[in-house]
Amino acid sequence: MSTLVLLEHDRGRVRSSSLTAVTCARLLREVSGADYDLLLIGAELGEAADGLARLGARSILLAEHSDLSAPLGGRYSAVLAEAARSRGAETIIAAASTFSKDILPRAAALLDAPMLSDVTHVKAGPGGLRFRRPVYAGNAIATVEVAAEQLVLTCRPTAFDAPELQGGETPVERLRIEPSWLEDGMEFVSREERPAGRPDLTEARVVVSGGRPLRDSDTFIRVLGGLADTLGAALGATRGAVDSGIAPNDWQVGQTGKVVAPELYVACGISGAIQHLAGMKESKVIVAINKDPEAPIFQAATYGLVADLYEAVPTLTEAIRAGRRAGDE
Amino acid sequence: MKILVPIKRVPAPETKIRVRSDGTGIETEGVTFVINPFDEIAVEEALRLREGGSAEEIVAVTIGGEECVEQLRTALAMGADRAVHIPDARLLDPPGVARVLRAVVEREQPRIVLMGKQAIDDDCNQTGQMLAGMLGWPQATFVSKVQLIDGGARAECTRETDAGLEVIRIRLPAVLTTDLRLNEPRYVSLPGIVRARGKPLETITCEELGISVEPRVRTLRLDAPASRPAGVRVTTVEELAARLRDEAKVL
Amino acid sequence: MNEPTREVFGNVAPWMQGLFYALILGSLVLSALQVSARYRLWRRGTPGEAERDWRVWLRRLAVFALGQKRVQKRSLGGVMHALLFAGFSMLAVGTTLLFLADKGPVPFHRGAYYLAYELTMDLFGAAFVIGCGLALYRRAAAKPRSLGHSSTDYALLALLLSIGITGFVLEALRLRWDGTRPEVAQWSVVGYALSQGFSALDTASSRGAHLTVWWVHAVLIAAFFATFARTRFLHVETGTLNILLRPSRPPGKLATVPMSVVEETGRSGASKIQHFTRQQLLSLDACMECGRCEDACPALASGKPLSPKAVVLDLRRAMEEIEDCKWQIANGKLEVPLVAEETLWACTLCQACVFECPVLIGHVDLISDMRRHLVGEGRLSGPPAQSLRKLAGQGNPFGQPAAERLAWAEGLEVPTLAENPGCEVLLWVGCAASYDPRARKIARATVQLLQRAGVSFAVLGSQERCTGDPARRLGDEFLFQQLAEENAARLNETPRKIVTPCPHCMNTLRHEYPDFGGRYEVVHHTQLLSELVSQGKLQGASARGGAVTLHDPCYLARVNGETQPVRELIGAVGVELREMPRREEKTFCCGAGGGRVWFEERPDQRVNRLRAAEALGTGAGTLVTACPFCLNMMTDGIAGTAGGEEVRVLDIAELMLERLDVGE
Repeated sequence: MSTLVLLEHDRGRVRSSSLTAVTCARLLREVSGADYDLLLIGAELGEAADGLARLGARSILLAEHSDLSAPLGGRYSAVLAEAARSRGAETIIAAASTFSKDILPRAAALLDAPMLSDVTHVKAGPGGLRFRRPVYAGNAIATVEVAAEQLVLTCRPTAFDAPELQGGETPVERLRIEPSWLEDGMEFVSREERPAGRPDLTEARVVVSGGRPLRDSDTFIRVLGGLADTLGAALGATRGAVDSGIAPNDWQVGQTGKVVAPELYVACGISGAIQHLAGMKESKVIVAINKDPEAPIFQAATYGLVADLYEAVPTLTEAIRAGRRAGDE
Repeated sequence: MKILVPIKRVPAPETKIRVRSDGTGIETEGVTFVINPFDEIAVEEALRLREGGSAEEIVAVTIGGEECVEQLRTALAMGADRAVHIPDARLLDPPGVARVLRAVVEREQPRIVLMGKQAIDDDCNQTGQMLAGMLGWPQATFVSKVQLIDGGARAECTRETDAGLEVIRIRLPAVLTTDLRLNEPRYVSLPGIVRARGKPLETITCEELGISVEPRVRTLRLDAPASRPAGVRVTTVEELAARLRDEAKVL
Repeated sequence: MNEPTREVFGNVAPWMQGLFYALILGSLVLSALQVSARYRLWRRGTPGEAERDWRVWLRRLAVFALGQKRVQKRSLGGVMHALLFAGFSMLAVGTTLLFLADKGPVPFHRGAYYLAYELTMDLFGAAFVIGCGLALYRRAAAKPRSLGHSSTDYALLALLLSIGITGFVLEALRLRWDGTRPEVAQWSVVGYALSQGFSALDTASSRGAHLTVWWVHAVLIAAFFATFARTRFLHVETGTLNILLRPSRPPGKLATVPMSVVEETGRSGASKIQHFTRQQLLSLDACMECGRCEDACPALASGKPLSPKAVVLDLRRAMEEIEDCKWQIANGKLEVPLVAEETLWACTLCQACVFECPVLIGHVDLISDMRRHLVGEGRLSGPPAQSLRKLAGQGNPFGQPAAERLAWAEGLEVPTLAENPGCEVLLWVGCAASYDPRARKIARATVQLLQRAGVSFAVLGSQERCTGDPARRLGDEFLFQQLAEENAARLNETPRKIVTPCPHCMNTLRHEYPDFGGRYEVVHHTQLLSELVSQGKLQGASARGGAVTLHDPCYLARVNGETQPVRELIGAVGVELREMPRREEKTFCCGAGGGRVWFEERPDQRVNRLRAAEALGTGAGTLVTACPFCLNMMTDGIAGTAGGEEVRVLDIAELMLERLDVGE
């Protein structure tokens, strides 16, 4: 029995969230005994493979071809399916992301296998493996069983820790790419280059968000940016802030902006109008910092701090940094 | 050109989901059901393609019990030309749905299958990709913009990915799945509903399509997530940082 | 005989009189033909409501036509029009009297009557000429922004002015040759003064000149009759007609279209000009482009592409092109609508335009009819469409669960109707005060005040559904009627007096629910609270408080005429009230109405910012209002305007609760 783990890389660098799939694969191994292989697909994989040696995999499989430089769903899923076949893998795992969501279902169809999305837990059950996954936008957790020989799944990155590195060497193999796998009728044109720095608002683990009290765009970035950088967070804003020109419109969180559900949402100077809450109330932990004790945001917050954000936010940033330094020692 | 739009009946997005304590599912009492918002966006996009002159016929299809016909009627009221109901009250899994849709595609021969990227009840985000794989058609997922090019031979699609917006070109026929920012669906009121009454709505069984599907994923139970603890007021920033680190473990 | 009089047609040979009458008759016939051509255009509309009660007609004539109630509010324009109107009317009356005196059985044009007549005619004639002069000045030099311009304006004014002037010249010349004694002649004050200037002319030349000028005058009058129906002047007839025929619906009530009609015709609202009623089409012709509606419109003031006047004029143009209608629906899509969709959605339905219009045009009904069509055709999408979907699904436009409708009452003892069936009054909370975090405080404050006053009340709790007002204002009649029928049925089970803090709920329940079998006494919370104060059940505050300013909600102050109760309450709590310039019936919209609260607004087109600036201009530290939507809009507006950081925005109930000393 074996598992094939598809990892995602960005121009040679394996994405850390994608590595949580290894942890999931290890969990699966505990429960079912299946070893796991790692798969990388792309055009130039040399560097990427280097970092994977100490992940305790049975082998690292590289599917390298110049036509695989961009992750087009057709060809990537064909390669993935063939890789699974060649390895005899019963299970294919990838960390959930737009990359894996595009590819894995199609590969599952090619293998005639069922698929589970956003798995958060695996355990053994009387009838076989039992998986847990969120449904209804996370308002319910489903426990499912699968009756099939092969299974494809994506795991929710936030439900699994980063894999601990293990000693030893992992052999690297190359998969021979058949040209027919690459004929998918699809052509990559371009990708918007995201300015380096902050993560995507809708996928970020942490969001630091600000409202109108931040006065102007310089102040917004100056005051909240420090906290965001410390937390590796994306920046969000209320409609009021966007309308006042303090923040660009793709930072808007709310009913008519982006709907986000990060692990941590820090709302600074945000009153908590119903339209804003609609865009972030599913966040796991909500912190509200506002100098008005009656602000509605406090009703939705996990932790509420009545304070002037201009004092509280920099102090919080420093406190977090201090805590990390202490933790590292 | 014909566009096939598969739609699904789901609880309204603003519904407060309450999980039954016996684990058998969610409370449906008092719940309003609508077209899956992403599918509604697909219907809207199909309508716009037709209004732009690129398509002639829009066919909506759904798989489910008799109650799903309501959603087909809404699609017709929005402007779809025909609707197909495949009565199957079981909870099919995405591969099962894709297999049924493949049979419908073979019957209807559309040039584009336009559907929502995921249903807001099961959040699978699989069916469109699976259908494309089964048909061997190009796919464009999480599409936020569609344009027909090369005289209708190909489509240029902008996709919303984690890395940002990506543009690809795919040959038709193809399967497209929609993302939220593709368009804002039109609202339907009585006149649209009245007009929809005259439009054809046919029922085709899986038997007639010549397929039979069995779900392979079984949901054993549904539980409520760990409930959100009531909020706490902290008095100092230091306390906040400490709690975030040690209690909530989000740092 | 020495009785003061004059010979009518003194210098005019009988054959010339005949020619004159023929000329006038001919020009009147031409005029009638022109008017009837317009009439045929109005007839293309659908038969619909119109006021037919002669008693209402008399009252309206007295107030709006003769009393010129709405025209007077402007300074230069008001004076100008008063002079023109009075002058022209009196000259018309005088001419008619003269005709009767000349052709009728009794020759009464003599004696004291004659003297009074001469004086009156001269004074009003002078007024008329001055009015024309002012009109020309206003048009050519003062150039107010909202004044309409058409090709015939100057010609018309020139014509009228020359009729007035030639009239006086005529009189002056007559006084020279007809030998009237000075003590009689001086009663024709202007003519007499003018005649001194003709002292050089002898009798014969005076007669000659008089005849010439007489014909000039006659031809000018004939020209006027023959052409006025094609100029701005037509408003005299069409405006008066519209003033009479405008349906007597309460201002806040939109016309109900039965769904059976919608099912039959397959359409809702107006997509072609013929879909409007005949009275509505007539009203389009009543517009004389004065621009009062534009000046009052908050949408236009905030930079949006909506001018009520332009809507009327665009529709008028469509009516004229009725044979070649640009509003055809082809292939299921709206082709180049004559009124742009953006324009129609920009309206807050505040009715400032309707209440300004001197000829009682119903701009809001025109816009609403067109909105209904847009919604019927699926032209509404985005956030407002989502609110309607949520309204349809959850019974409130916020999409919050019906089961949580009483969540705002936590910690307060708020009985439902089931718990307090014998209550005096039913508190209708409304969706905003039930679900919106800020507006919930209004509900809480109101309830606490009622409790302190010992009023026995109850709420419907989770049985309360949206009145449907947002649906109706956005144009979804279907959804509105569904909600109205349900709510009316529910309220009819245990009918009683209803009090609500929301003017929109009040308006809909009071005026629009009767069409669905729901007839209730509905008051706004300011009315009830004010009563309670005057009954001594709520005591005023003793200590002086700071200064407040008041924003009158449109649907309370203007549309429903309720302006005093909230002022009485402010007075009762001992704060200084600094009124804003635009208040009471003239209040300036907060921008939320007409479903606008659900639309995304461009930051540079915010109506609430304009109003906030006005409020901040009073220097008051607190802005008080009486509507949950105004509360949210003004809170947002004040916070977003420089100088507003420390200004509080409160509902009157919140202010009262803060400042009340009970049992003093």
